[in-house]
Amino acid sequence: MSETKINIGPIHPSTHGVLRLVVTVDGDTIKEVEPHIGFLHRGVEKLAESRMYMQNIVYMEKLDYAAPMAHQELYVSTVEKLLGIEVKERAEYVRVVLLELQRIASHLLWLGTMCNDIGQMFSMFMWTMRDRDMILRLLQEATGQRMFYVNMRLGGVNRDLPAGFEDDTYKVLDSIEHSLGEYKDFLESNPVFMERLKNVGVLSRENAIRLGVTGPVLRGSGIDYDVRRNSSYYKYTKLGFRPAVETGGDSFARYKVRMKEMQESISLVRKALEEMPKGDALGLPIKLIGAVPKEKEAIVKRELPRGEGMMYMVADKQRPYRLAIRAPAFINLAALDHISRGQRLADLFAILGSLDLVMADVDK
Amino acid sequence: MPKIEYANLDAEIEKLHSEGFTYLTKITAVDYVDHVEVLYFLRDIEKNKEIVVRSDLAPNYLRLKSIMHLYPAADWYERELSEMFGIDFIGRKTKRLLLEKWDGKGNPLRKSFTWGSKYEVQE
Repeated sequence: MSETKINIGPIHPSTHGVLRLVVTVDGDTIKEVEPHIGFLHRGVEKLAESRMYMQNIVYMEKLDYAAPMAHQELYVSTVEKLLGIEVKERAEYVRVVLLELQRIASHLLWLGTMCNDIGQMFSMFMWTMRDRDMILRLLQEATGQRMFYVNMRLGGVNRDLPAGFEDDTYKVLDSIEHSLGEYKDFLESNPVFMERLKNVGVLSRENAIRLGVTGPVLRGSGIDYDVRRNSSYYKYTKLGFRPAVETGGDSFARYKVRMKEMQESISLVRKALEEMPKGDALGLPIKLIGAVPKEKEAIVKRELPRGEGMMYMVADKQRPYRLAIRAPAFINLAALDHISRGQRLADLFAILGSLDLVMADVDK
Repeated sequence: MPKIEYANLDAEIEKLHSEGFTYLTKITAVDYVDHVEVLYFLRDIEKNKEIVVRSDLAPNYLRLKSIMHLYPAADWYERELSEMFGIDFIGRKTKRLLLEKWDGKGNPLRKSFTWGSKYEVQE
């Protein structure tokens, strides 16, 4: 048969934002996928050069609207390293709690949308959104905002955890842990779900390294690399963090990695709340006129929900001279062409769903 | 790691790749007006080691050899740098820009590019 080109997107329910895919098919076998990105480009890197260090924090949250907390923490840590500011001990625990709650929320959103992508399971989406909402309420309790928190400050956080937050969190975590078990039983005994994920979009160990994929996609291909352990930050080693690794390399392995990660995050939050020391967690006020950078440049990397994020910042006096962002979704999308070659066209969105993309992160 | 001479850059990256630095984290560049610094973030996943390879380019001769044959991950980073800094990568099959959604001239992340009227370039 001859080859045909099919255009998908830019507006399509399963592309999680504005992404255009030009797919070359032979019959319904995919020969090539060419992603066209940039519909959501805001020029964040250039914008950051014209704003003062702490003014940029609001832009960084919008890099990933499904996990804003993680991105603002990455940015604030970069500035902290540049200005030579130490994080208070209690603040480290507070940040771990907030970051891991955000990771669970982000993964729940992914689970719902992926089940949606592979068809038929809209009820999963409703259930995971219900669970995610409980976490958003917790984060609202802790930061005052529901979606864009602007909560990280140099050396700490804007608000300490409020009274009663711990009890509320334990309740929510118990409830989510229970539902996760249910989802797992329900999904893994569902033949449609298994058929659509097992042996679909296989990425081998060697190719995962060559293509530079990151986060759950990398760990789903059997590579034991997690920034939280490999370049340990905050108290992750002390809290007994273990990365989730699967060797399958297919969409199902990526699903399992994220399910295990949610479980791991739940125990991390519990442990961090138990071991949290008393004291001051508040950071410096956001007005930081006259800040003098101690370093010439800073490189900071963090394990974001979508994978490894990195920021490289070169200092000027009051504002960044250059801010380079490594977006995890960007490099995972770049691997889509390789992963989906030879698969059926109908499986394209099962693969795309298992990569967990946020287009705002890809386009910057 | 000290800066690599522009002429030795390709050989150095090839050497590091054969030594086990097979994972590319990012390629980026910084415009210092009198020169453009390019940075390759390489990693050895097994040994958990990282290295940053730097080199200076003359602003009127922005050319690099593509490293896609060693690191397929470099594809989108090279396209991004072509678009944002105007760096020409030699030895690439596709020259398509990455975002390609704008009609303007100039390279947005160069310091000569300003926020003037629509895509105005100040030389």
